Amino acid sequence: MNAKALRIGIKRGWTEHTHLLKTRKELVGTLLGTVGVFAALTLWMGDSVIEGTGVSRLTFLMVGFLAYTVFGTALMTLPMALVADREEGTLLRLRTIPGGILAYLAGRATTALCQIAVQSALIVATGVLLGGAPLPHDWLTLAWVLLLGTVATVPLGAAIGSVLPSKNAVGIATLPMIALMFTSGVFFPATIMPEALQWIAQTFPLYWQGLGLRAAFLPDTMLAAEIAGSWRLPYVAAVLAAWTAAGMLLAPPLIRRVTRRESGSRLAARQLAAQRS
Amino acid sequence: MSTAVSVRGLRMSYGTAEVLRGVDLEIRQGEIFTLLGPNGAGKTTTIEILEGFRKRSAGEVSVLGTDPDKGTDAWRARLGIVLQNWRDHARWGVRELIVHLSEFYDRPHDPDELLAAVGLTEQGGQQIARLSGGQRRRLDVALGIVGRPELLFLDEPTTGFDPEARREFHRLIEKLAADDGMTVLLTTHDLVEAEKLAHRTAILAGGRITVCGTPAELAQAVQAPSRVRWVEDDREQVVTTPDPSRTAWELHRRFDGPVPGLEIRRPSLEESYLELVGRNA
Repeated sequence: MNAKALRIGIKRGWTEHTHLLKTRKELVGTLLGTVGVFAALTLWMGDSVIEGTGVSRLTFLMVGFLAYTVFGTALMTLPMALVADREEGTLLRLRTIPGGILAYLAGRATTALCQIAVQSALIVATGVLLGGAPLPHDWLTLAWVLLLGTVATVPLGAAIGSVLPSKNAVGIATLPMIALMFTSGVFFPATIMPEALQWIAQTFPLYWQGLGLRAAFLPDTMLAAEIAGSWRLPYVAAVLAAWTAAGMLLAPPLIRRVTRRESGSRLAARQLAAQRS
Repeated sequence: MSTAVSVRGLRMSYGTAEVLRGVDLEIRQGEIFTLLGPNGAGKTTTIEILEGFRKRSAGEVSVLGTDPDKGTDAWRARLGIVLQNWRDHARWGVRELIVHLSEFYDRPHDPDELLAAVGLTEQGGQQIARLSGGQRRRLDVALGIVGRPELLFLDEPTTGFDPEARREFHRLIEKLAADDGMTVLLTTHDLVEAEKLAHRTAILAGGRITVCGTPAELAQAVQAPSRVRWVEDDREQVVTTPDPSRTAWELHRRFDGPVPGLEIRRPSLEESYLELVGRNA
């Protein structure tokens, strides 16, 4: 039963991904939004170089966007989709079906992976073709960091989506994410931040995701801008693995709780409230 | 005939509010059973307890031989559930979603046969968001029965339907129940619908089943007293009585001939039902 539900779920996730590609609003908002902003920045920055390193500012930015894509898709887009599915009754529908919830979660994770893959490819293609950024010199590191970063954040995203009470709350939940985005050293080096902020940033997965990706793309001349002057790849692996474990522990009970609470009358009450407001 | 659903002394409280105060129900296999009651009577609560979506406060419940609180996936696969106001999967295609949900079951209906059965063959390629209200509800029924359930729950399925759509919907349910021998439990607040569709109906009012039986038994049980009017001493007289024929006969004997202004009004089934519900609210 479980293997069958997983298989249906992965197929379901792919179908939902193709739906997103066909919906103009979604396409513009999530896909072209991030990639488009990055393309505009690419053209605006030209080929200015970070002094004394031989690395273009654009390359640094490209890696930042890559880290942000994983983070944003898993921790903002995914929770929002979960909340929307709950409000529209999609979650409840799958609850009425044997193996439905497992398939649903597998589907959501698959859609998130597809979105991350497409956006990452588009960002790197834009950076390389439009801005002359180099391809990664360490493909292996790129692959495991992207994968582990995704695995570390998707369960967390599912947990966040289960806890958020409504669509309105999603906006509030994104504020700390944006704060994290600016302090985590993905768009400018963390070393220019006060030390206290550096410590806070290093407790979250985004910092380590960014660090691992920079290790794959940037030469060692950039190490001067890193905390401790090192790529610290073992730490990257350890911290992302720890977050993976935390997400895996946290997500299932929260998801069970929120699906157990779904029922027809709850759905009806929510729709009534939405009509009134 | 064996039993599909059996409920004894079902109670449900939300905080201090007691919604169900001891409901007893017995639904036989293969029958169309309606749970009739005004809005807020606890119909949805009852059906959600039977579906395993809500934990009861007290009582014994067995649905297809299983306690819904302990329902497994294998048990769930034998149920079909159609809720009110479903708006899910709006981006999916009609046929696409039927195919997707059919894959969860071992012995599903053929998607195209199902589309034909609910009259949505032409809409098969359409996006669900573009369906009309009636089409959407028929799709919900198709999705509810895609796994060939033994027991189908329909919660207020015809709310907001025009009379023609409602008639068509009734025909669809009758056909499905007859063809597959499926047991159907339907909630409604419309007495006419219950009378038309159900083999048996239970009226839920004030948290209890007040009446349960066939349409004829129902009519007899709920019949409210009739009103007899006549003119006597230049004034209109009114009497309410469960036996208007006897009252009229007594009047005729007293007047020893025609009774001036005699009028007997027997309330309709609908009016009787509303009175019954009002008494128990």
